[in-house]
Amino acid sequence: MVINLGGRKSDMVLLDENGIRCDGRKVNETRKVTIKAGVLKNASGSAYIEFGGNKILAGVFGPRDVHPKHMSNPDTGILRVRYHMEPFSVGERKNPAPSRREIEISKVIKEALEPAVMLEKFPRTAVDVFLEILQADGGTRCAALDAASVALADAGIPMRDLVCACASGKAGDALILDVNNEEDQAGQADMPIGYMPNLGKITLLQLDGVLTPDEFNKCIELGVEGCKKVYEIQKNALREKYFSKGD
Amino acid sequence: MTDFSIIDKLKRSKILDLLQEGKRIDGRALDEHRTLDVVTGVVPHANGSARVRLGDTEVVAGVKIQPDRPFPDTGDRGIFICTAEILPLAHPSAETGPPQPPVIELARVVDRGIRESGMIDLSQCVLEENKSVIGIFSDNVVTDHDGNLFDTCSYASVAAIMTSKMPKWEMKDDKPVLVEGEEVDTPITTIPVSVTMGRIGEFILADPNIDEWACLDARITITTNSDGNIVALQKGGKDGFTYEQIVKCSEISISSGAKIREIIKKAVGETQ
Amino acid sequence: MRNFKDKKQYVIPGDVITTSPLRLRENVTLDGKRIIATSIGLTNIYDDSVRVIPLSAVYLPKIDDIVIGKIKSIFGNSWFADINSCYQGMLLGQDVFGRGSSPTMSDMKSRLDIGDLICAKIANFDRSREPLISIADHNLGKIDSGELVKISPPKIPRLIGKHGSMIQTIESSTDTSITIGQNGLVVVSGSESNGLLKAIEAIQMVEEQAHLADLTDKVKKMLETNGD
Repeated sequence: MVINLGGRKSDMVLLDENGIRCDGRKVNETRKVTIKAGVLKNASGSAYIEFGGNKILAGVFGPRDVHPKHMSNPDTGILRVRYHMEPFSVGERKNPAPSRREIEISKVIKEALEPAVMLEKFPRTAVDVFLEILQADGGTRCAALDAASVALADAGIPMRDLVCACASGKAGDALILDVNNEEDQAGQADMPIGYMPNLGKITLLQLDGVLTPDEFNKCIELGVEGCKKVYEIQKNALREKYFSKGD
Repeated sequence: MTDFSIIDKLKRSKILDLLQEGKRIDGRALDEHRTLDVVTGVVPHANGSARVRLGDTEVVAGVKIQPDRPFPDTGDRGIFICTAEILPLAHPSAETGPPQPPVIELARVVDRGIRESGMIDLSQCVLEENKSVIGIFSDNVVTDHDGNLFDTCSYASVAAIMTSKMPKWEMKDDKPVLVEGEEVDTPITTIPVSVTMGRIGEFILADPNIDEWACLDARITITTNSDGNIVALQKGGKDGFTYEQIVKCSEISISSGAKIREIIKKAVGETQ
Repeated sequence: MRNFKDKKQYVIPGDVITTSPLRLRENVTLDGKRIIATSIGLTNIYDDSVRVIPLSAVYLPKIDDIVIGKIKSIFGNSWFADINSCYQGMLLGQDVFGRGSSPTMSDMKSRLDIGDLICAKIANFDRSREPLISIADHNLGKIDSGELVKISPPKIPRLIGKHGSMIQTIESSTDTSITIGQNGLVVVSGSESNGLLKAIEAIQMVEEQAHLADLTDKVKKMLETNGD
């Protein structure tokens, strides 16, 4: 399914002669990222992220009973992730039923988080992560993963590391960090990366587009640098909620 | 699904005991709504949007406006459709999957209040009669559930519609074509405001929170328009109301509705 | 064991606490030589071991813990209680009616009904089954009055304080009686509504400021000021 994210004509200039991108950024610059932890009353953990024009809410419940029961594992808790776009989040109103795209993204985000969460202490239970895309603007899966990881830590789920995410890619023949919607639509490559910064492990990696082997290596390096920048913002969101009161 | 948690019995008896003294568990007067906070323009990709917090209940509404085919029997009018979904992160009991009857009722009650008030002048939303009209979708998503989703969704949709801008289309070769860069305010005729009340024993409570909701004998949602006329209502719950109670509810809906209408107008005005 | 080598540090999951060869205690894990925090919280480094005192955590039942629960359902001869954990507490009918008894549903309901709050003990728990809870002891059973307050379970030790100092301070200066569940649920009861509100405020203060030192003094100060 093709989602029209309000993409513009492909003849737009993605990179001008001064190396400035269509939204005014340099090639190695991310969009503005803000994260707030603990924004929902009912969820056991939550986070709200604005990543450029992306606006995403993450809520975590559990560990809790698994329904249906046969999905439960007697040896460990399981992680479940739902990535879901609101009908008004994209250019043309999206049908509220889950699309194949949403189901795939839910799966890759789940698998990006699984190496970080430690659910062995909670056999027969599930931790549910709900990711609600209020507005999509290119790079929702990375932004959603960033919010999910903050919400999981906020819920007190034991984790080996946070998972931070940011895309790199290629547009206007240059390698770029944090691919925006226009660059995703009209650019040459988009490579979302999820990364555990302290353990140095890549847990989400996809690529749409063509890169030479050399570009590919550089693109990963660039993306990981972006992830590390986002990681600082994730940490600050948690510190703000947990360590700033009462001083 | 809109009746949620199992309330603990100590809280239930506290709610009932306080009511005997004319008091509520959160200190409100019987006919008083919780604090209403309306922020518009929260989803710039939508044609109109609002995030509304009523106490600890939160809803985000987004309006999408796009060409559509008219309903067969009303070819001379645009289309308006309002939906509602309780997102699974809103409450531990919320579920994914097909909507349950209470959620369908929620969407229909919110839709009816806005539709029957004639809030949007749909006769101005026709591109070519019987062939192509403008469709206005208002989608509500509940992000935090602390009771009274009816009013919260209704206020969110109304604020989103009031701030929405309608793009312009022209018919070319029988097809609507977008005219870039031209948009107009959505034609608004009135501001519908829903007021939901619950009955516990002989007491009528406006805007019950989730704990009060668990104690209700019956509930009623009454929507009024800017002229103070009643345009839609819905009674729900396992028990009924006496005639006198219904009259009292209608009076509250008119007086509270007027106050809430001013809050929404102010919030919408501030962002315009 | 009690001697701290370092000042407490604030950590979040993934933070490296130390590379010294220390014994791992709660909420830490090993990556090569590095000891890593797995929870948001405060580090405690002892002479030979290290742990993180979490500020957010899920309650896991431990045998003999006192917990507060809310009856959620009744199936056959058992009640199931929400004990603010990933598992429901199971209370057997025989715990209340005695061995070999076969109570009817109405017997069960008349003793404990859905929505009732209980103070219970974790009688048995292993990884394979729901935790078994019991109310067959003095001070346990149905809670008849008071107000339920929820705090993060790992902050319960702070609410109790050293040798119960915090909870005693709150109780005596607000004239309330407070029942603490290790699962983060707390019932406050008292005849005077101002005292009740004050006690709840104090508990919420512990919830918000559990990461700070001198908390007992801060709570004392708050309790001494008059609310008006």
